[in-house]
Amino acid sequence: MIGRPGSTPWLLAWEMRLAWRGLIARRGRKGVAAWAPFVIVAALMLALGVPVGHFLLAADAPGGQPLVVVVAAASGMIFLLMLSQTLASAAETLYDRGDLDLLFASPIAPRKVVAVKFLAVALNLYLTFATFLGGVLVSAALVAGPRWLGGLGLMAALALAATASGLALALGLIRLIGPRRTRTAAQVASALIGAAIFLAVQGPMLLGGSRLNPWRELWAAAERGEVSLPPLAALPLRAALGDPAALAILGGGAAVLYAAVTFWLGERFVAAAAAAKGADVTRRIAAPRPARFSAGAFSALVRKELRLLLRDTALLSQVFLRVLYLVPLALVLARAAARGEAVALPGAAAGVVFLAGQVAGSLSWITLSGEEAPDLLASAPARATMIMRGKLVAALIPLAAILIIPLAAVVWLSPRVGLITAVGAAAAAVTSGLINIWHQKPGRRGEFRARRGSTWYAMWAEASVCGLIAAATAFAALGSVWALAPALVAAGLMGLLRRNEAQIAEALRAA
Amino acid sequence: MTDALVLRDLTKRFKTPAVDGLNLTVRPGELYALLGPNGAGKTTTLRMVAGLLKPDAGEIRVFGVDALADPIAAKQIIAWAPDEPMLYERLTPLEYLEFVAGLWGIEPRAAHARAESLLRWLGLWEARGQRCEGFSRGMKQKAALAGALIHEPRLLILDEPLTGLDAAVARQVKDLLQARVRAGATVILTTHILEVAERMADRIGIIQHGRLLAEGTLDELRARAGEGQTTLEDVFLELTGAESGAPA
Repeated sequence: MIGRPGSTPWLLAWEMRLAWRGLIARRGRKGVAAWAPFVIVAALMLALGVPVGHFLLAADAPGGQPLVVVVAAASGMIFLLMLSQTLASAAETLYDRGDLDLLFASPIAPRKVVAVKFLAVALNLYLTFATFLGGVLVSAALVAGPRWLGGLGLMAALALAATASGLALALGLIRLIGPRRTRTAAQVASALIGAAIFLAVQGPMLLGGSRLNPWRELWAAAERGEVSLPPLAALPLRAALGDPAALAILGGGAAVLYAAVTFWLGERFVAAAAAAKGADVTRRIAAPRPARFSAGAFSALVRKELRLLLRDTALLSQVFLRVLYLVPLALVLARAAARGEAVALPGAAAGVVFLAGQVAGSLSWITLSGEEAPDLLASAPARATMIMRGKLVAALIPLAAILIIPLAAVVWLSPRVGLITAVGAAAAAVTSGLINIWHQKPGRRGEFRARRGSTWYAMWAEASVCGLIAAATAFAALGSVWALAPALVAAGLMGLLRRNEAQIAEALRAA
Repeated sequence: MTDALVLRDLTKRFKTPAVDGLNLTVRPGELYALLGPNGAGKTTTLRMVAGLLKPDAGEIRVFGVDALADPIAAKQIIAWAPDEPMLYERLTPLEYLEFVAGLWGIEPRAAHARAESLLRWLGLWEARGQRCEGFSRGMKQKAALAGALIHEPRLLILDEPLTGLDAAVARQVKDLLQARVRAGATVILTTHILEVAERMADRIGIIQHGRLLAEGTLDELRARAGEGQTTLEDVFLELTGAESGAPA
């Protein structure tokens, strides 16, 4: 380890080690397999940096108005993404690690513990973004000149400022709504910020009818002088170009903000962390409702699963975020269909079917692999097939509610395609559910984002089968017999993936 | 009368034998304490009886029902309560009981009456509208126990039921178990609190290395352990060959 035991570097190294192990554990891989995705992403980013470098080289004057606008907008977007990440990290630091009691009970000043935790959040944030954007910046700097390496400094300033803002926001939420709800609110807000940025970037293309890349559109608008800039808007570009004064202003400002949050809010964080484990855990006491005992195991199981699904706001927000990311595609296809373009409606039908499969996969993973009391079900006098069927049905009910609107839209445009879409969506949903039954692996619901329990081939198989059924739906909507080809391949894949009850039980025992 | 539980040559291996040809009989209506050092095979044995683990060899009969040939029929009359409560954090105790009663196919009206009676008895009635996530360990353990009792099992199996409970809750649980035995149910429990076994159990079984080392009433075990062994702790340490005393 680095530094003297109990020192700030020692604590920070400890935090970073835990963060890295957490990341690896979430991915469920070790050794080379754990590093490989990061190396691949870094290589891709390095490759992406080359055209970016050429673009920067070709830009008229590095200090020109369009570049100022684009770099300022990109910095703002990166800051918001970092803020979203910090909000999620703050909730994890507060609740999930569970080491605060140990640290606060040790003879290390709580203020130092908190400062190090905050610093670890900032450092993790920086490293995460550096993995993605650092490669682009480095290869762009190789092409356009080393001064662009100043971008790494700009990113550090943004990470520090986003950490400070995110933690201040989380603590503000704790004051307003209490630690427990803050966890959910922070996770939901984090997801929504990500989705909002995605939609904002895609917005002009979707709603304005523009076919231009939004960044190019912004560039063009800046060239025409249509963008009014706030004061100091040129600072990010100057910092990215390695201007020491700009870097000092942005970096210094971020450091002051970070120090202020650590100094002023650190103690509140300590109190909030203590409260998170204590009194605030109990929820508002609702008036007890009359009991509703079911006559059979199936209905009791479906009701229980629906209750658990609907009461986990953070989990549902993560599932529905996937739906949100498909909104741009839906809008493009709907606009094309409204203009009478021949392939638009089959495209929309395929989109709905793929969406159905993906959401069904997520929900059935939660109900099947995310079971909280598997021993209770295993010790009950109920057949495993009935339990799995009940869980699948419970997963498909919320999906049906989600699909009503897009299906109704397709039916309104063409009842025949609507019917085909409904059949395709049902097939995709059921096949995704079946894959999750056959290849279930117990995991905690909180680990949904990483779907730690799922095997990688089950996830790929799920996406592939959904894609094939979506393709079959599109061909069927076009009235083509080629629909049979992807449908047969999907059926063949399902045949390969199928496991009987004994095989499922054996796999669960081995898990 | 049919024995409540009969185990014949029960065997389960993981990397090493966890249960090694265990033979055990529990009579109906008795409270049987299964004791043993850590890793002796107690929990593995009980998990096999509850249908959670498949034995490698041997026979399990619950009130005459072959639990390996007809697990559903055996599970219908068994309740399993492990040391970690099998609860759903986001359900209220009443909703939890609705679910468990449904799993065991209890007629709704009977289930409703039993749920109310159990929750009142265990002091959870006022908390019936609160989600279990805010409960203390004792409250969670009581809610889980209510779940185990909602279908009025003939054989109640508890693994370390008193772990982490305060004195008042522990007393409540002990009273409830004794009440079930008086009502005719059979209770098998494991515990590391030997005083509990000493005071409550009709018979005690001590297992080690997956085999039954000794079995009988406390007096029978005392006699077997030899002179000078007055408490169950003395008997247990003598029979298992464990060292006692503080380090020098």
